[in-house]
Formats: sequence, structure tokens, C-alpha cells
Amino acid sequence: MSLEIESMVRYASPINPAVFPHLTMLLLGIGIFFTAWFFVYEVTSTKSSRDLFKELLLSLVAALFSGFGILFLLLWVGIYV
Amino acid sequence: MMPAMAKIQVLVLLLLYIAIQCGSLNVDTISSDIKIKNVDRSIDISSQLVKITSKVTLENTGKVPVKNFLLSVEGGAKSNLAFISAKDQNNKDLRLVETTVKGYDQVKFWRVELKEAINVASTAIIGTESVYTKALQPFPTAITQQEDQLVKYNGNLYFYSPYPVVSQKTNVVLNTKSVESFTKIKPFSQQDGTIAYGSYSNISPFTEKELNIHYKNNSPFLTVTRLARLIEVSHWGNIAIEETVEIEHTGAKLKGPFSRYDYQQDHHSGPASVRSYKTFLPASASDVYYRDTNGNISTSNMKVKKDSVELDLRPRYPLFGGWRSHYTLGYNVPSYEYLYHSGNEYLLKMRAVDHVFDDMQVDELVTKIILPEGSTNIVVNFPFTVTRLSDSLHYTYLDTKGRPVITFTKQNVVENHIQDFQIRYTFPRLLMLQEPLLVVGFLYTLFLCVIIYVRLDFSIHKPEHQHKD
Repeated sequence: MSLEIESMVRYASPINPAVFPHLTMLLLGIGIFFTAWFFVYEVTSTKSSRDLFKELLLSLVAALFSGFGILFLLLWVGIYV
Repeated sequence: MMPAMAKIQVLVLLLLYIAIQCGSLNVDTISSDIKIKNVDRSIDISSQLVKITSKVTLENTGKVPVKNFLLSVEGGAKSNLAFISAKDQNNKDLRLVETTVKGYDQVKFWRVELKEAINVASTAIIGTESVYTKALQPFPTAITQQEDQLVKYNGNLYFYSPYPVVSQKTNVVLNTKSVESFTKIKPFSQQDGTIAYGSYSNISPFTEKELNIHYKNNSPFLTVTRLARLIEVSHWGNIAIEETVEIEHTGAKLKGPFSRYDYQQDHHSGPASVRSYKTFLPASASDVYYRDTNGNISTSNMKVKKDSVELDLRPRYPLFGGWRSHYTLGYNVPSYEYLYHSGNEYLLKMRAVDHVFDDMQVDELVTKIILPEGSTNIVVNFPFTVTRLSDSLHYTYLDTKGRPVITFTKQNVVENHIQDFQIRYTFPRLLMLQEPLLVVGFLYTLFLCVIIYVRLDFSIHKPEHQHKD
């Protein structure tokens, strides 16, 4: 615990704040695309044509991209979580 | 034989205990070996503060080298003292330890520990600085809008010391020629904005002689009655700072009516009032906001300079004696300016208090530091003595168990207290993924609900015939 300031390096964000807008656009774009696909699939498929694995996979990809996209959106607008 | 040994042992332990007790109580004695050859003192009372800087030439007249000496402050002034420091010839800060001397309960003492001992028959020059707040009393206590503010300074004509002073000079800086009255003890001289006293020779220890100066002082008499400073650290590369300031004009009270017309018409109207003041922020400050309970205060200007961001803050109304105001000032700074790391160990090094206006005086400072969620092993290091309040938790966006909050408070703060504190903590880097994964988890549960919902059948009657798919 007795670390000296001289032996430490300055801490910068793991992701450069300058790319937050681009990341938001890209991730949220992909996220919304998969979300749309998921919902379209949910409403168009019928009981017999439904594939649970495809549903789970689509929703997982949509959730992952949208989740990270929302985080970077928060950071972009200044909500530093 | 044995009982005697045991007795001696107990006695030694007792003596040790007493010695330790004495050490912790900090009782000093006044050394008769030290003599002060010369004191050059300057009392600056041109602002709302009393700033006393002295150049003290110490002489060792004893037979052993002197390693420390005592600084003292008069019993009547000690409650106004906000800051005291001592420097040696090389301009290095010396360590001051609060102490007491038997028989002088009213006097406040500091033991100054010298870096290099003063050898027998040699001298050392020490520079001391002390700042007093609320030591200037407005007299008259209430003035009209057009009047100048007159204040009274009441101090000590001699350098207050536990040692005899051979020769001393005092220079009082007023920055004004309009002096109503002042103590006249020869030799003295008045020039432009200063009054020079001395030299006076052979003043015995603890001599107090009243020094009164009644003069014009229109400098802003602004007191920050409460300054709440909030520092929020985010490992996404940002440190957000928000200061909630309660401010009051503590000069002579305004007597009679306030005419906005006169005030606007004649720029010399209301000389004792405060129209605006400047706040300096760190050079890297961005996204600055200045607002109060009504919303944004638009009468402010921001200038980005090379080494600072200068804010020209204008309250919604000019501040006259006894008037108060309240506002919030916030900004962001990038984390690389103040946050250091080595692996999972982090160190935050920031100012405990920052500039509000020149020659500021803060009655109560409360600084809160919000660390990222999941920080552990928090060790804090303060530059001056503060009262640490109990730690708490802060809940904001995407928090589960709350962020640790370190809070400390200090009374009577001046510009000299703009110093860095240090906080060390451990934060596992992977924990940063907790926030996005929370959002991902939330969305995924939403989608799962949809998946389950489409499998439920809410129709009241069974379809008569199955659809052909």
C-alpha cells in the first residue's frame, strides 16, 4: 500500500473520450438493427415456425450491442457513470 | 532481591509511561538560549484579511545547537488565526507542531522544527506567514449606499514572541492614504499607502502594545459562509467537480434604501458593494455551469487562459453589507490530470479547496469525494488538520451497492489552504464492465419477457380449426 506517486502513471480512460460519439452511433446502430430484427421475428413467426435458439441468439446480440451503446451514449452526454 | 527488581521494573515502566504522556501532550519550555536579533514584519490589511509576514533572525546564545524554536500568537487573536507557516532561508517549508507551555495557557504556541540546527553563536533567518480572518471590524458598522467603508484594525505593535527581541520594524500596508487615525508611537512614518513603525529595540518576551488603525477599506468583504465541494471520480476518464457556495457581504451593513438607478448611473456609487468577482478554475476545466435555484445565471463570462480558466461571476444583484447570495458552480476535468495508477492501485491527488475569489475567507468547508463503486482499502492523506466525517454511500446511475464517499470538513479556510489531498484506493479494473453489463442484463431480461409473452395464449375461445401454416 505504500506506493509512491513517482512510480505511478497518470490514469486515462481505457477508451478515448473523443471516440464516444462514434462508438455510440456504431454500437447503438447495430443494437437497434438486431432489436428490430428480433421484434419483427417475434411478431411474424408462428407457433410452429418459431426457433427458440434463434430468438435467444438474436436477443443476446441485440442486448449486448444496445447495452454498450447506451453506456457510451450516457458517457457522451456527460453522465460519467 | 526479586521484589526490588520488580519494583525497579515498575518504576521504569511508570517513567516511560509519563515520558510518553508528556510527548503526546506536547509540553514545551521556552529556551533561554534563543534571542531574536531582528524582526522585519509586514502587516497587510489592504484586503479583508490580515496577512502578517515576518522575517525573523534567530540567534543561538547558548552552548548547544538549537533544533527548534517556538512561535506564539496572542490569546486575543488566536481564534481569528486561519493559517500559519514558517520557511527557512532556502524557502523550504518547516514542520509546525501545536504545543503548549506551562504558565501560558492563554497563548497559542507552535514548535517549529528546523531542518538544520542553529550552531552556537550563529544565526538563522526564518520567514513566517500568518493569516487572520474577521480581524478587521467595520466602523461605523452601517453605511449608506454612497459612503466608503471604514474599518478598524486592532493588533500588536510588537512582534509577539516568547524570546527577547533586540530590534524590530513593522510595516503596515493599507493601500490607501485616507487614514482616520492610527497609533502614534515614535519612531513612525506614514508614506503613500503604508505606515512604518520602528525600529524598536529591546522588547521583552510576550509584550503586547495596542496598535490601532482606522482607515478606508473598500476591498470586497466577502465571506463564503459555507462551501460544499463535491468531487466525483469516474474511471471512464472524468472527474466532475461541483461547488455549492453560500456567500455573504460581511463588511459594513447597508443603511437606508438601495437605489438601483444611482447604482447603474454612477459607477462610483456603492464603493463598498461587490458587483462581480473572479474565480479561477484549473486550465483543463470544461463544461462549466454557474446556476442557482432559479436556473442559469447568465451574467457571467468565461475566459480560457494558458494556465487557468478565468470566470467572471456576477451575482444576480450587487452585494451590499449584510446581503447574501447562493449559487452552484460545476465543471469537469479529465482524470489524467489528478488520478494516478499502478495496476489496481489508484491515487487521487486534488485540491481540498479551490479558489473562489482573491483573498477569500471560508467559514465552513465541506469536501466530499465520491469514488467509483467497488473501491476498497481507502487511505486518505490531508495536507492540514481537518475533521473527517463518517463515510457514506452515494447512489447514482447504474449503481448497485453504492459508491463510497469520503467527507471532511474544516472551519476558517483561506487561500493558503489551497493544497492537495491524496486518496489511495484499490479498484479492480474488470469492475468497470459492471455498468455496461447491468444495461445488457436489463435489456436481455426484457427480451426474454417478450420471448415468454409470445408463447402465452390469452384468447378466450379456442380456435375452431387450426390454421394451416
